[in-house]
Amino acid sequence: MDSNLRIGFIGAGNMAYGIAKGVLQSGDVPPTNVKVSAPSRRNFDRFQELGVDLTHSNTELISSCDLVFVAVKPHLVETVLCEISHHVTSKHIIVSVAAGVTLEMLEGLLPPESVVLRLMPNLPCLVQKGALLFSRGTRARPEDGALLRSLLQHCGVVEEGPEAWIDIHTGLSGSGVAFVYLFAEALADGAVKMGMPSALAHSIAAQTVLGAGQLLRDSGKHPAQLRSEVCTPGGTTIFGLHAMEQGGVRAATMNAVETATERARELGRKASSTATQNRK
Amino acid sequence: MSVGFIGAGQLAHALVKGFTAAGVIATKRITASSPDTDLPTVSGLRKMGVNLTTSNKEVVSKSDVLFLAVKPHIIPFVLDEIGPDIEDRHLIVSCAAGVTISSIEKKLLQYRPFPKVMRCMTNTPVVVREGATVYATGTHAEVEDGKLLEQLMASVGYCTEVEEDLIDAVTGLSGSGPAYAFTAVEALADGGVKMGLPRRLAIRLGAQALLGAAKMLLDSEQHPGQLKDNVCSPGGATIHALHVMESGGFRALLINAVEASCIRTRELQYLADQEKISPAAIKKTTLDKVLQQPGVGTGVGVRTGSGISLFNNSHPRNKK
Repeated sequence: MDSNLRIGFIGAGNMAYGIAKGVLQSGDVPPTNVKVSAPSRRNFDRFQELGVDLTHSNTELISSCDLVFVAVKPHLVETVLCEISHHVTSKHIIVSVAAGVTLEMLEGLLPPESVVLRLMPNLPCLVQKGALLFSRGTRARPEDGALLRSLLQHCGVVEEGPEAWIDIHTGLSGSGVAFVYLFAEALADGAVKMGMPSALAHSIAAQTVLGAGQLLRDSGKHPAQLRSEVCTPGGTTIFGLHAMEQGGVRAATMNAVETATERARELGRKASSTATQNRK
Repeated sequence: MSVGFIGAGQLAHALVKGFTAAGVIATKRITASSPDTDLPTVSGLRKMGVNLTTSNKEVVSKSDVLFLAVKPHIIPFVLDEIGPDIEDRHLIVSCAAGVTISSIEKKLLQYRPFPKVMRCMTNTPVVVREGATVYATGTHAEVEDGKLLEQLMASVGYCTEVEEDLIDAVTGLSGSGPAYAFTAVEALADGGVKMGLPRRLAIRLGAQALLGAAKMLLDSEQHPGQLKDNVCSPGGATIHALHVMESGGFRALLINAVEASCIRTRELQYLADQEKISPAAIKKTTLDKVLQQPGVGTGVGVRTGSGISLFNNSHPRNKK
């Protein structure tokens, strides 16, 4: 990678922070080559600790960076892109992190030769255990994807896919994080019901989820296989699992991913039509 | 080696059909008894060349391996009848659901010091040599006896030894299992018919799908969950169908079914051990014929009128 590559973040929220941390962790990009812009100083503190440059000017940022993450809330994307559009050249790589904002929309707001990618991270990027899926726009070449992938490798798991998968990724892994939190809370509630103090129950529930997740990721085994391995004949686990099956947990979980995905698609459609309207 | 069957119903018929297809024993070396000579299974056995008789004692005298293939509540009567005729060479194999080895041994110990008893749980697909059989070994049965039984039963499908306390669970799973499968195929076929397939084709395809899937699973090292994944293309038909199944609580249903069958088996066993069975519960012809046999007398605790206690010779116990 070009050690002179300059990375910018428009927006200083959680996603920008998580990604910036991961980018810096790779060691390929020194903090002095990273710049963050935001309208107020409010979120700058933790970025300051990373040693990156800070500014309030988006146009200054785009002029002084090569690869720029657009990490503002979805409803602000249009404003930001219109603001920087005149400064975007074919040498820039623009990566949008905004949910529901399609590549078509992004490319529509930028000059015709712009290189655009769309990235969907998730919350655990904050602890470098994210699941990130990106999709290349019309002018983004495989090398641009490879560059992005190598920048993000320390944020977690990075995969490329067609844009159609991004909504699914949102449902599965973006919202999926919340589903896991719900499950962890319910585990703890069950323990509290059975007599364990709440704080301890929550701590153990969190560790259980973490440990199981790590085993699942590292073992390479199918989750059904791992589940079977925990189930001693006539033991506690199989009894508990039966209760879960009777509760229809599987179907509920499939429904959750499906519903979240459908909603992501709907939001994307709505945003597209609003943008089209606004441009008329 | 000769094999005998006390009882010539579905089980005896299925086993004989399987054994002969496997070529593991000639039918002329098989004897079966039944009080009712009109049963279709009896004529089926006769057509296969099996020696048929109405005398249980005759079966005993002509066999080395003796299968008790009667309904569980008949077992004690049979044991009382044939007890005196059991010799050292005999290996008694009970196929009756819920009837424990110890209850059989207890009966036979009245007549012999070391009765060789085994208990097996098999299932109807033995008839096409795809049975699932488990067996447990009694106190006085030798390792060779186990091997012999295993050889016989392995010729008609899968066979393995287990601890006796697992047999009720096996009953719930593979004993009743074929019924679950028949129901599933029927329902799958209904789905096919609903979607336009002719009935016979639908049944054929449904059965073949289950057969093929089972074979794949048995031949594969992979977990069934993985095999399921392999069939489900992203966004495809199968995953949509699976979602419907999950929403219907399919998995829980099957777990419940196995559990219910297992629990009922235990209940029946408990009832058999503890409760009295009224004479009306036993076919009159069977009881009469048993009582008519020489050697079966009042000394064995068979009392009519006030209920019959199955496993002890003292006066009938009160119901709990």
